[in-house]
Amino acid sequence: MTPAPAVKISVRDFRVFHGQARALGGVTIDIPARQIMGVIGPAGSGKTTFLRALNRLNDLTPDTRAEGQVLLDGKDIYHASHDVVALRKRVGMLFALPVALPMSIYENVVYGPRLSGIRSRKRLDEIVERSLTSAFLWDEVKDRLAMSGLRLSGGQQQRLCLARVLAMEELEVILLDEPCSGLDPISTAKIEEALTILKAKYTIILVTNNTKQAARVADRTAFFLMGEMVEEGSTVKIFTTPNDKRTNDYVTGRFG
Amino acid sequence: MRIPPRITQALAVTILGSATLLTVAVLLFIILFVLGKGLPGVSLEFLFSAPRDMGREGGIFPILVGTFLLPLMAIVIALPLGVGTAIYLTEYTRETRLTQALRFGTDCLAGIPSIIFGLFGFIFFVVMLKMGWCLLSGGLTLAIMILPTIIRTAEEAIRAVPNSYREVSYSLGATRWETVLKVVLPNALPGIVTGVMLSLGRSIGETAAVIFTAGSALRMPASAFDSVRTMSVHFYILAREGISNEKAYATAAVLIISVLLVNLAAYGMMHYFMARRAR
Repeated sequence: MTPAPAVKISVRDFRVFHGQARALGGVTIDIPARQIMGVIGPAGSGKTTFLRALNRLNDLTPDTRAEGQVLLDGKDIYHASHDVVALRKRVGMLFALPVALPMSIYENVVYGPRLSGIRSRKRLDEIVERSLTSAFLWDEVKDRLAMSGLRLSGGQQQRLCLARVLAMEELEVILLDEPCSGLDPISTAKIEEALTILKAKYTIILVTNNTKQAARVADRTAFFLMGEMVEEGSTVKIFTTPNDKRTNDYVTGRFG
Repeated sequence: MRIPPRITQALAVTILGSATLLTVAVLLFIILFVLGKGLPGVSLEFLFSAPRDMGREGGIFPILVGTFLLPLMAIVIALPLGVGTAIYLTEYTRETRLTQALRFGTDCLAGIPSIIFGLFGFIFFVVMLKMGWCLLSGGLTLAIMILPTIIRTAEEAIRAVPNSYREVSYSLGATRWETVLKVVLPNALPGIVTGVMLSLGRSIGETAAVIFTAGSALRMPASAFDSVRTMSVHFYILAREGISNEKAYATAAVLIISVLLVNLAAYGMMHYFMARRAR
């Protein structure tokens, strides 16, 4: 037995409300460092709300309120003293739909590093090559970095978005919100391959509608239903001998 | 009884077509009429020499300069204020009663006849602040007049920037200001430029607000505290006082061509920005 990995994010009785409605209720979970945590569940189960809470993107939605604790390396990110801008540089997010900003491929990738004050052209060039290589996009775009990111295909744009997240030197955690929902199988395979390599360095949380994807790449899996976390465990256990009947019904495709 | 579609179609084409034709015809008639009467009097000498004998003789050079300086000053004053207000209303506040009231206020301001702005400018800038008839009084008055247009077009343009761009920017650790500067404004630029060009067109042709505030001096302005006369004011005075119909039409022709050029420039800039984004 290898020793239990360190806990990167510890969520303690965490709840989210949109106005009066409860979007997420009483979630408690430990997310281990340098593993892939899959989050599955039907539409409207609160998994995206959970994910967006981890880098406080829910703050941007009007009338949204959070209660409970989210500890990143033991520090509560919802504490008033926590710097949200610094948090988002450590906890990057990949959205469901690829959003390339209307600027060149190069400028897309260095968006984060430039905000962190990196000016040296040489360093930025290195960051661009390293990030695009990790996202399996470098070979396809290395000769046209000045081209607009909008002219890439959907699958390429999503890898560009991944590279843009990886370009942040402060990055420790990657959040992915159904990153392959609009992609073809080959692009999906490339993203999944990238994730299995990236987990050596980063903690990854992957929300997916595709249970097979969770089974393929996740080390641990959490199942969400109607704003609650039903259960969480090793992916093998969740997909073969879950404790809860609802989990079993979902992973075997009986509902959802 | 149902009319066969073939006939309704033919009717629609005839009626809608004639409406369009009539509109274009009236517009063309006015332009051609003014140009026909005025162009014979337009020459390089007319454009680049000073008026003599109250404008009965000579050209319109100081007036040409005034016509471009005044709107330019108005834009320089109104652009930062207007875009700033639009950014505040869209990015820094939530939709509340106050923002709705502010928006209603700007809409009302946009509908006020320009002579009211002229009167206000005269009482406030010219008399109360003792600035006199001058470029600055006129520029400030015009700035107030075009502010609503600039605010509203900028606001619409900023709202049209996809929210997903903002989310991406924030998720990469940008502050609100960095997001505005790097993502929102560049993408709202074509819309903002359109608003500026609309305002520029409106203020170049403005008469009522200008005659009360910038005056009607025929001399070349030496500073912002000198009075200037714009082409529309010049045209008004020439025709009204029966000084010279020929020079009035010539001035009108130059005015029409100037407004046309501004609109063409706006069109060109729009295309330039669009093409640059798609590259």
